[in-house]
Amino acid sequence: MHKDRDAALVNDCKRGDRKAMSQLVSQYQRPVYNAAYRILGNTDDAADTTQTVFLKVFEHIADYDPKFKFFSWVYRIAINESLNQVKKRQKQEPLDDSQVSPWQGPAEDLDSKRLCDRVQGALMLLSADYRTVVVLKHISGCSYQQISEILQLPVKTVKSRLYSARQLMKKTLQNDASHSQGCGQS
Amino acid sequence: MNEHSNSDKPLIDQHVLDLLNGSIDGELNASEQAEFDQLMASSEHVRDLNEELTAISSLLDRVPEREPPDYLQSAIEKQVRLPVVNNGPDGKQGFFGSWLNANWLRTGFALAAGVVLTVGVYEMGSEPITEQDSANLVGTVVRNPVSKQGELLGTILVETDLLNGVVELRNTDDLFILDLQLNSAGFSEVAVNFAGRGLVFEDITPEQGHEDTITVADGFVTVASNGKQHYTMRLRRTSELMQVRPLELEFFANNKLVHEAKLSVSKK
Repeated sequence: MHKDRDAALVNDCKRGDRKAMSQLVSQYQRPVYNAAYRILGNTDDAADTTQTVFLKVFEHIADYDPKFKFFSWVYRIAINESLNQVKKRQKQEPLDDSQVSPWQGPAEDLDSKRLCDRVQGALMLLSADYRTVVVLKHISGCSYQQISEILQLPVKTVKSRLYSARQLMKKTLQNDASHSQGCGQS
Repeated sequence: MNEHSNSDKPLIDQHVLDLLNGSIDGELNASEQAEFDQLMASSEHVRDLNEELTAISSLLDRVPEREPPDYLQSAIEKQVRLPVVNNGPDGKQGFFGSWLNANWLRTGFALAAGVVLTVGVYEMGSEPITEQDSANLVGTVVRNPVSKQGELLGTILVETDLLNGVVELRNTDDLFILDLQLNSAGFSEVAVNFAGRGLVFEDITPEQGHEDTITVADGFVTVASNGKQHYTMRLRRTSELMQVRPLELEFFANNKLVHEAKLSVSKK
C-alpha cells in the first residue's frame, strides 16, 4: 500500500491516463477479489463484485479526497459492495461441499484445501459484520486503525467485534467433527 | 463484560480483552506488553484464552490467497471509463456526455481506432455488421431490413424539438435488440452504454437507406446520422458476466444532449 505512488496514479487517472488506471487495477484487484471472496464465499460473485468495485472507483475517481488513503477508499467500496451482495441474497447459508470452489493447487496441498473449506464455512456462519472485520484483519492484513477507517467504526468496536468473531469461529470449528484431522493444530 | 463471560470461568473485563487482542495481533506497545505479560503470569484463565484465540488467529492467517480469474483485469479495464478533461462551454453532460461532446476526441478516437487497429471502414450491402467482442470498430452502415422479434422489455419516447421518435428494447434468447426509429432535421447521435452488463455488441442493421456512422468501443455504441436514425442494434448476453444494470442511452442533436434514458434488460 504505497500512499505516494497511489496518489500519483490517482492524479493521472483523473487526467484520463489509462496506464495509471491499469496499474491501480493490477495492484488492488487481488486484495479486493480475496476480500470479496471471503465475505461472499463464491468465486463468481467475488469476480462480479470486484468488477463493480473498480467501475465505481473510477466512476467516482474525481470525487476521491486525497487526504484519505486510496486503499482505504477502495476497500470501503469493496466491503460495501460485498455486503450489498450479501443483503441481496436475503438468506445467508453456510457453504456445503458443493458450494466450495474447486481446489486448484497441487494434490499435496489437500490439507490446505480442507483448511480453507472449514475456515470458509466457519466464516460464512458469522454475521456479515463479524465476517467483515475478520476478513479485513486476517485476509487483507489490515491494522485496527485501518479497519476502523475502512468501516468507519471506532477502534474499540473493531476490537470487540474481532474478539467475538474469533470466539464464535472457535466454537464452530471445535464443533466440526472432521476438524481434528486437518486443521486442529496450529 | 457479560457477553464475553463463560459460566464456569471468571469474568474478564474489556481492558484485558483489549490486551489479549492486541497481543495476538501485534498491536501492543512496550508498556501494554509488559502489563499483558504480568497478567499471563498471574492468570490461568487469561493464558487459556490467549492460547485459544492465538490458535484461531493462526488458523485464519494460514488461509492462502486465491488467484483472481485471468480475465478479471482485462474485463475491468475494458469497462472503465476515465474522466476526460473538457474545456468546452458548460452544459449538461449526462452519463458520458463529456466524452461524446468533445468533437475532436470523437474524431481522434475514430481515426485511431481505424488506423491503429486497422479495423477499417465497413461498407455494408445486405449483410449486417458483425463484431463478436466490444473491441474498437468504426464503420458505416446501410440498408438491411429486419423484422421485429422477441419480447418487448421497454420503450423510450423521445420528444424534443431537434430529435423525436421511439426506441424499443426486445429480448429473444440471449439477444437484446434495440429498435430505433428516430427523426431529426440535422445531425444526431445515439449512444448506448452497455459496459459491465455482461453484454457484447453483436451487429447493427439499418432499416433505411441512410449511411450512418457507428463507433463501438469498450462497452459503448454510438451511431451518428443526418436525418433519420432507423435501425436495429443487437447485443448478446455472455455467460461470463451477469450484471443486470439497465442500458443507458443518450440522444444528441447538433452536438447537444437532448434526452437520456435507461432501459432495463430484466424481464418484467
